Amino acid sequence: MTRVDRRTFLGGAATTGAAIALPAFAAAPATTAGATWYGGPDTDIPKIGLRWAFCATVFFADRIMIGSPAPRGYTSVGGGEIWGPRLQGRVLPGSGADYYKTTFNTYYMFEAADGALIFIHNRGTMRRFQAPPEPGKPLVPAENNGAPASGAPPVWTRFRATPVFTAPDGPHAWMNNTVFVANCQRQSNPDHTVFTYYEVL
Amino acid sequence: MREFVVPKTDTRIQGEVKLEYAFQLRAKFDPAHRSRTPKGDFRYQDITSGDVRGERLNATVYADSGGQYDTVRPDRVRDVDAHFILKAENGEWIYVEHVGYRRPDGYYRAIAYIDADTKGAYDWLNNTTFVVTATESADERAVVFYYYVAN
Repeated sequence: MTRVDRRTFLGGAATTGAAIALPAFAAAPATTAGATWYGGPDTDIPKIGLRWAFCATVFFADRIMIGSPAPRGYTSVGGGEIWGPRLQGRVLPGSGADYYKTTFNTYYMFEAADGALIFIHNRGTMRRFQAPPEPGKPLVPAENNGAPASGAPPVWTRFRATPVFTAPDGPHAWMNNTVFVANCQRQSNPDHTVFTYYEVL
Repeated sequence: MREFVVPKTDTRIQGEVKLEYAFQLRAKFDPAHRSRTPKGDFRYQDITSGDVRGERLNATVYADSGGQYDTVRPDRVRDVDAHFILKAENGEWIYVEHVGYRRPDGYYRAIAYIDADTKGAYDWLNNTTFVVTATESADERAVVFYYYVAN
């Protein structure tokens, strides 16, 4: 153990006084390696980077509808798995649900591999189009929002989620200060959804 | 919830998200009214004016239609919560909500949720997730928001 005398300690405190006065926020690592950057038509438009953080495979169990003035859905979260570079663990079984009203609106818990419980409130948007986007071309909405009909042409589904996390102090605290956006894909056999979370840089 | 056994799956799908720049909003705010609360320092800023410019949306901020209702947390990160109304150049009304973070290191990012008339010219804004980056003047009263569609 290194012995620090009082003089050295006070000298160090004087130079880092501002940091001691206020708790520091838990920033993500300064490196932006692995990010994909997007920009606008003019160079003065700030770029935004996306970097894959982790995936969550979520199995939904019960599905219930409540006939409230704007119908409220309930789709319970049965469990799932979290894997990827920035977070590993599982979806805590029975910890919440999608309580959707018009759009996706879920509340449940992640349990990280180190045992930390992380609350997720996830809002989402979904829309079906005739084809995937091509640069410079507006997306064309699918007929009847892609409602299945015999002989109907295939559609491209854009299903995006935007989570707000509440993570405990410690290694996952960066999630409290970071905006995320996710690609969501519904899978069948067995029925589950894969959420691919990107950190917004 | 009924008994549920999580099936074993070897799913290792990685879905894509691509951003596409859409428009920018140059907004003006009144100075922040600050108040100490149990959750941190609440910070209210009235939105007084602004212009949206983009290929598919041109609009003005409906003055005093809302503003920023942020909370500065003990770690000095601002939880961003904004609500306001736009009037498009054809007269249609549009609602904008921002949820995000402004950090002491200058990171200012948010998600925007936008509602427009489904029968109007701006229906494309509905059920669209926008990722936003913002730059703020030193006095925090002039803010430019840049909106990208998450495709």
